[in-house]
Amino acid sequence: MNRGRWAVLSLIVLAALAAVPAAAQPAVRIGVILPLSGPLAPTGQELRRGYELMVDIVNNVHPELAALGLEVAGWEGIPSLGGAKIELVFADSRGDPAIGADMARRLIMEENVVGLTGAYQSGVTQTVATVAERMGVPLVNSDSSSPTLTMLGYQWFWRVTPHDRIFDDDLFNLLDGLVAGQAPGVGPVPKESLSRLAIVAENTEFGVASGDDIRNRLAPERGYDVVDYIQYTSNSPDLTSETTRLVNSGADAYLFVSYVSDAILFMRTLKLLGASPTLIWGQDAGFTNPDFVDAIGPDLHGVLTRSLFISKIGQVKPIAAAINELYRERHGKDLSEESARETLGVQVWAHALQRAGSTDPAALKEALDNLYIPGEQLITPWEGVQFGAGRPGEMNQNIHATGMIGQYQYNPDTGEVQLEIVYPFDFATADMVHPFPGWN
Amino acid sequence: MSVFLEVSIQGVLMGLTYALLALGLTVIFGVMDMVNFAHGEFLMIGMYAAYLTAAHVFPDPLVGVPVAGLIGLVLGALSYRLLVRRLLQGPTIAQIFGTFGLMLFLRYGALAVFGPNLRSAPGGLVVGQRLVLGGLVLDGAKVTAAAGSALLFALIYWFLQRTRVGLGLRATAAHREAARYMGVDTDAMNSIGWAIGGATAGMAGALLVNFYYVSPTVGMVFAMITFTTVALGGFGSVPGAFVAGIIVGVVEAVTAQYFSPQLKLAVIYLVFFLVVLLRPHGLLGAR
Repeated sequence: MNRGRWAVLSLIVLAALAAVPAAAQPAVRIGVILPLSGPLAPTGQELRRGYELMVDIVNNVHPELAALGLEVAGWEGIPSLGGAKIELVFADSRGDPAIGADMARRLIMEENVVGLTGAYQSGVTQTVATVAERMGVPLVNSDSSSPTLTMLGYQWFWRVTPHDRIFDDDLFNLLDGLVAGQAPGVGPVPKESLSRLAIVAENTEFGVASGDDIRNRLAPERGYDVVDYIQYTSNSPDLTSETTRLVNSGADAYLFVSYVSDAILFMRTLKLLGASPTLIWGQDAGFTNPDFVDAIGPDLHGVLTRSLFISKIGQVKPIAAAINELYRERHGKDLSEESARETLGVQVWAHALQRAGSTDPAALKEALDNLYIPGEQLITPWEGVQFGAGRPGEMNQNIHATGMIGQYQYNPDTGEVQLEIVYPFDFATADMVHPFPGWN
Repeated sequence: MSVFLEVSIQGVLMGLTYALLALGLTVIFGVMDMVNFAHGEFLMIGMYAAYLTAAHVFPDPLVGVPVAGLIGLVLGALSYRLLVRRLLQGPTIAQIFGTFGLMLFLRYGALAVFGPNLRSAPGGLVVGQRLVLGGLVLDGAKVTAAAGSALLFALIYWFLQRTRVGLGLRATAAHREAARYMGVDTDAMNSIGWAIGGATAGMAGALLVNFYYVSPTVGMVFAMITFTTVALGGFGSVPGAFVAGIIVGVVEAVTAQYFSPQLKLAVIYLVFFLVVLLRPHGLLGAR
């Protein structure tokens, strides 16, 4: 009887042991630093949703995505690490550089993360990068656009996303492309009709950095003439005098670096003054804000804006449509610039871990330095992800990263204003409207 | 038409709008010797009143002008009755922080109720209308706001000079104690002063909605320029606010055209500084 009991017990124990997977690997922990509270909290939450989406794709099988060529969708964890899952450990920077650095230390020393990602605001990313550099832990950034971050000689910092100078380059690639007749639906445009530029920029870091880059670097390099450079104070009660000066400058193309409130006032006043430039372009920010689109409506027809990501790319890139669809199922809306860019950060981490086959920092560094993800696997229009020097003095920047330029187009039949992709030209979702049709 | 003239006319239009914003503030100061820091928020609430009227009742913010005026009137009177009257029993610093608190309460209350989005009038009789006079292109909405401003100034001036209540208000402004001994109900005068302040701010807001966006923090955008206008014209002076508004508008427009848009506020404050240095009570201020 006693023996029998032992036998039964042993069997139960054995059965229980067998039920535990033989090779359960501990999860690989990645620390994510984001502004999850404070004024940027809504953005922080949006960024977080992007991370979580791609972690789910890596950790679980998604045959529909794998069939489209997305490698990580068929992995179910990291194969070279015995199928280990990725676990994200979120930390809140509250948008403060000092707190961001503290969080980086805490994640590395107490949470045992193998690497970091984040931290959105370039100022916070910089202090986090300093900690990563000192402690020899890789930091993969997919959401900060200050050009200096990849100019500091950091060995442990890799940036997936384009920086602001690349965005400025995109604008001039578009202008040159128009002249060369590459823009969809537009024949070659005489350069004289585009060569006189006026820059209107708000007078803090965001506006001045971009305005200066256009005036001092790109315009002379590409043979354009900046006829006026208007710096103004954001949230002014009135921008009529700035707009009058802009119209009087006689420029062909108006280039705006503005927040939403100013963008609304400028567009309204330009219409009122009957301005007729050949092109209007905005540097993201105010120009992609939904309140801007609501306020100006059909009058936006023909206005261009740069953007990191426009979900319409799904029309010309099936993998982007499929990832966007998965996101839509979960959150009831399309991927935004914020959520889209963070999917790339996780993707880079997954490939780096797979390539390294280890969580050893030196092996991860080696893997990131030599990483290549082909463009077909990305939701963005890039040729791929590969780190190097995009320009002199730079390092560990994704050399294939570009932005997009969208154009608002009004469809009188549906009464809707849609943001269509016009650059990169190969990914255009509609013919470009050029020259700017004016407001009559 | 010369560019200078064109720019100056644009400046006068915006200046009349600034004057209208300053009107309510200077009336309250005149009667009570008290600065209402929540004035920009009164303006914001007037803007929401007109915007919501246009969005849900009748699609023109002009219809919202009387609505916003009425809401502003009630808001001003209630602010006095429920808050300011109590603050008067405390030290001066309590009065300053009291209306400052009211400002924060209204601003962030609006943020909680309306959300952070920027909203714009869906359309209206003067929204986006071009008025072409000779070679000059004017914004119909701004011309309307400027005309409304001139009209309200005339009305308030008449009210103060020609009515019995106006006399009471002026008496209270001149010497509170003496007025009280003469039988003026100074508490009621305070209340009326705040009601006028609220009503004019509300109507100014409604006129602004024709060409400006509405957001919970929009009061901040106009607060600084309004305080400068009141101080430049002389605290408590209604004609002073009118003249100062026009000066601020023209200086702003001319500086932006001939120097740099970045300098326009600096030049306004420089003019303000010089006037205050030479005439410490402002251009038309008493004493």
